Amino acid sequence: MVAIRSLTTILTYVIGLCGMIPLFPWLTTFPRVILVAGLLSGLWQDRRGSWPMKSWMQNVAIVPVFLFYALQFSRANPIQPVISVLAIMLAVRLSGEKSVRHSLQIFALSMFCLASSSLFDLSPVFLIYLGLLLFMVALALVLLTFQNQDYAMTVSMPDLKRILFSALLMPILAVPLLLFFFPIMPRTQLPLWHFLNPPVSRTTGYSDTVEPGSQSSIAESRTLAFRAEMPRQALGQLYWRGTVFNRTDGIKWTRIDRIPSEQPVFTGQTVMQVIFPEPSAVRTLIALDRPASLALQRVKRSPDGVFELIGRAERRLSYTASSQSNGSIAQRNSINRLFYLQLPPRLPDRITALASEIVRAGKDDSTRVAYLENYFRSGGYRYSTRDLATGVRALEQFLFEKKQGHCEFFASSFALLLRAAGVPCRLVGGYLGGEFNQMGGYYLVTDDKAHVWVEAYIEGSGWVRIDPSSFATNAGDVWMPPGSRSLRLRITLAVDSFNHAWNRSVIAYDFEQQITIVRHVGSLLQGANPAKMLRSSAPYFAGCLLLAGLLFAARRASLFRSREQRILNRFLRMVEEKFDISTGMSGKGLFELASSADNSHVSEFVAIYAGALYHDRRLTDEEYLRLRQILRFLKDGKSKIP
Amino acid sequence: MNQPALPHAFTKVFETLSRDYLQGKEEVLRLSAIALLVGGHILVEDLPGLGKTTVALALAGVTGLSFGRVQCTSDLLPSDITGLSIFNREEGHFSFQPGPIFNNIVLLDEINRAMPRTQSAMLEAMEERRVTIEGVTHPLPNPFMVFATQNPSDQSGTFLLPESQLDRFLLCTGIGYPAEQLEREIIAGGGIRERIGSMAPLVTSAEIMAARSNVQAVYLSDKVLSYIHNIVLATRAHDLILTGLSTRAAINLAQTAKAAAFLAGRDYVAPDDVKSIAVAVSAHRLVMRSDMSTADRGGVIRTIIAGIALPLA
Repeated sequence: MVAIRSLTTILTYVIGLCGMIPLFPWLTTFPRVILVAGLLSGLWQDRRGSWPMKSWMQNVAIVPVFLFYALQFSRANPIQPVISVLAIMLAVRLSGEKSVRHSLQIFALSMFCLASSSLFDLSPVFLIYLGLLLFMVALALVLLTFQNQDYAMTVSMPDLKRILFSALLMPILAVPLLLFFFPIMPRTQLPLWHFLNPPVSRTTGYSDTVEPGSQSSIAESRTLAFRAEMPRQALGQLYWRGTVFNRTDGIKWTRIDRIPSEQPVFTGQTVMQVIFPEPSAVRTLIALDRPASLALQRVKRSPDGVFELIGRAERRLSYTASSQSNGSIAQRNSINRLFYLQLPPRLPDRITALASEIVRAGKDDSTRVAYLENYFRSGGYRYSTRDLATGVRALEQFLFEKKQGHCEFFASSFALLLRAAGVPCRLVGGYLGGEFNQMGGYYLVTDDKAHVWVEAYIEGSGWVRIDPSSFATNAGDVWMPPGSRSLRLRITLAVDSFNHAWNRSVIAYDFEQQITIVRHVGSLLQGANPAKMLRSSAPYFAGCLLLAGLLFAARRASLFRSREQRILNRFLRMVEEKFDISTGMSGKGLFELASSADNSHVSEFVAIYAGALYHDRRLTDEEYLRLRQILRFLKDGKSKIP
Repeated sequence: MNQPALPHAFTKVFETLSRDYLQGKEEVLRLSAIALLVGGHILVEDLPGLGKTTVALALAGVTGLSFGRVQCTSDLLPSDITGLSIFNREEGHFSFQPGPIFNNIVLLDEINRAMPRTQSAMLEAMEERRVTIEGVTHPLPNPFMVFATQNPSDQSGTFLLPESQLDRFLLCTGIGYPAEQLEREIIAGGGIRERIGSMAPLVTSAEIMAARSNVQAVYLSDKVLSYIHNIVLATRAHDLILTGLSTRAAINLAQTAKAAAFLAGRDYVAPDDVKSIAVAVSAHRLVMRSDMSTADRGGVIRTIIAGIALPLA
């Protein structure tokens, strides 16, 4: 035997948790504390079975909280007060005695809490919580009706199973409706509140300046930067181009927008990609180095291969890019060398000395680049994100003393030396590598893959990609992927394919796609030859019809009843109506009915009908007509039969 | 339409009897008539003073059949019922003196007071319809019907009929108190023994025999047959019942249902007929589980019947 009451209590807590957990990260400290305290005190009191706080006390206690948050409410801050009040109300209800009314309030508050969490985040986890919540609310509602009848009701296990099964039928039957409504209902692609008011921007990874030496160590975050659907590439080719830095003050590299024109000649294999960046405030559009074209509206294209969004992203973006590169991009005309040789007025002496050493090594660009490469390779530099050189002399320290740093140190010092040695060059910021997700067929690139490398202009070859970080002595450990992926990574990737599918097909599903589907259907219908279509679909149609017919026949054998059964049913219905005798469940025989009804029509009907039935023969036509006549008389309420 | 030119007289007799003489005893009268038509015996279980004997007397009176009565006591001997040979001194040989059982209708009053040996002799006679005394077999008259009574509440000094012997009774029923208004009329009118004594027979023995053959001819359809069979099977599978209905009981159900249909003026059996006699035919034959022996058997039968779908189409 199971007590309904304990079931509803458990369900109420789980439903409350389903509302709390998704909203919890977005709450401020006070509502969080209240929520946890309310939950714990509720659990404790339910265990004890006594509730010292009366519900009116709780209701009174909410009023000042409500007033406080009502005063906080403003156009600039509309959301936090509302969700705080919601969370506190949920906490208060969870801490009190769970009467039927309070349970219903908890269900509603949980729904609101879950719904308001979608203002901040549109993750597929929302669907899981929503599904859970709906199923359990349906269950709990059914159970509450029992509890409402009898507070201490207990049911046996088989009965409980039946109750649960029929309660689950409701949400399960609603699932097909979901499939129907999904394509037509309006939707948002971004968490409404959170996206318009982004949290403090990301600190690591990709930024719009390169400034080695600003921090002694950097924290690497594995937050997702973007996904790229494309065939698998060699690791050495996985340079994702973001932006280009062309100005330096000796330490900091920045980008200025007046960029001399270039005429690149794309050679090599074209790689098509569909990029799905995570929503962020950054306007630069990432693509595999080097993007030849990028299919998106309102995009500014710079001559140095940088694509930027004009204005702000209003929805989750996705775009197709086509890239061509084997590491260098030839130029039709020579470039503005001066622009890419800009240097600060003063360089540290040791750097100038090294630069003049490079200049002495050879006259053309490629020799000088090769000399510097060799210098880096043999210099014993280590790649590290800890114990970094800092301050205004950071690059000097890196080059000659510490000899360890991350990509920014390598790239900016390399570029600085190249420029000092008279080789035009620039820094390219973007990402390197990424996890290929076999299941989804896309690359998953996280913020810790952010990278900076150098593009040097070598007369005759064009812009050549040089990654100074790869000259580090420990480059192999850092850049080469481990031989086999860990289980955790594999699970992460599998979960991510679900996330990606969700973003692609649910979040990014928009009005345009709705229109596309409608158009597609329309064009199918227009372009089709009706006769041909009919002919080709006829077998399917017939098959479906047959199946439906069979199902129908199996379900409703009563529709194909004999004449006798039909007229008997009419008779029974009429007796039930006219004489107020229940015929269905009482198990009354025909003659018993006749004597209860005490009506000559009924008696005659029974005599004729039973006479045929219990003689094992069918009604003759005259009998049938007579029975119908009797039914008509019965219906009209005539007492005499002519 | 399908009613044959059935009797009738026979039906009318019982209508008259219950209307004019034995108000409020329609059910026991109907069952007695059914027993007479099927050729079975009836056991009436009820308290004294509710008219058991009167019903038996009236039955005899209205049919003009001979009536014998045995008041059972613990010292009643089998020969007191069957009769015995007495030496005739004038003629010099034994001559057989028939006992009260040599009548068409025999009232065995308080049958459970007789000792088992006597009960056994009576029941044997009921089954065989003949009595063998000193090597000579004497057939009992036809029609022959035993109308036995027993008092269920007074158990001291009685010998309960064993199940196998209860099975020999076609029907077992109670009488019950008459309705309130009816009882007042009966009190006002006084007993009716005298009026019954002066009752003129309304049917002849030949008519009864004709009616019996008509009952045999009542049509029993497959549907109703399955219905009866379902009831029998259900009693065998029921939780409270140790031994369900026997095949003999099933045959009796069909026979009595035919008689009931005949009395209702039909030449076919309807499920209603089966329902109307099922308790009287079945209840006393059920052997309940030992821990359930006090259960209301009639109630069990009614529950079983309520659970079986009537063949309505």
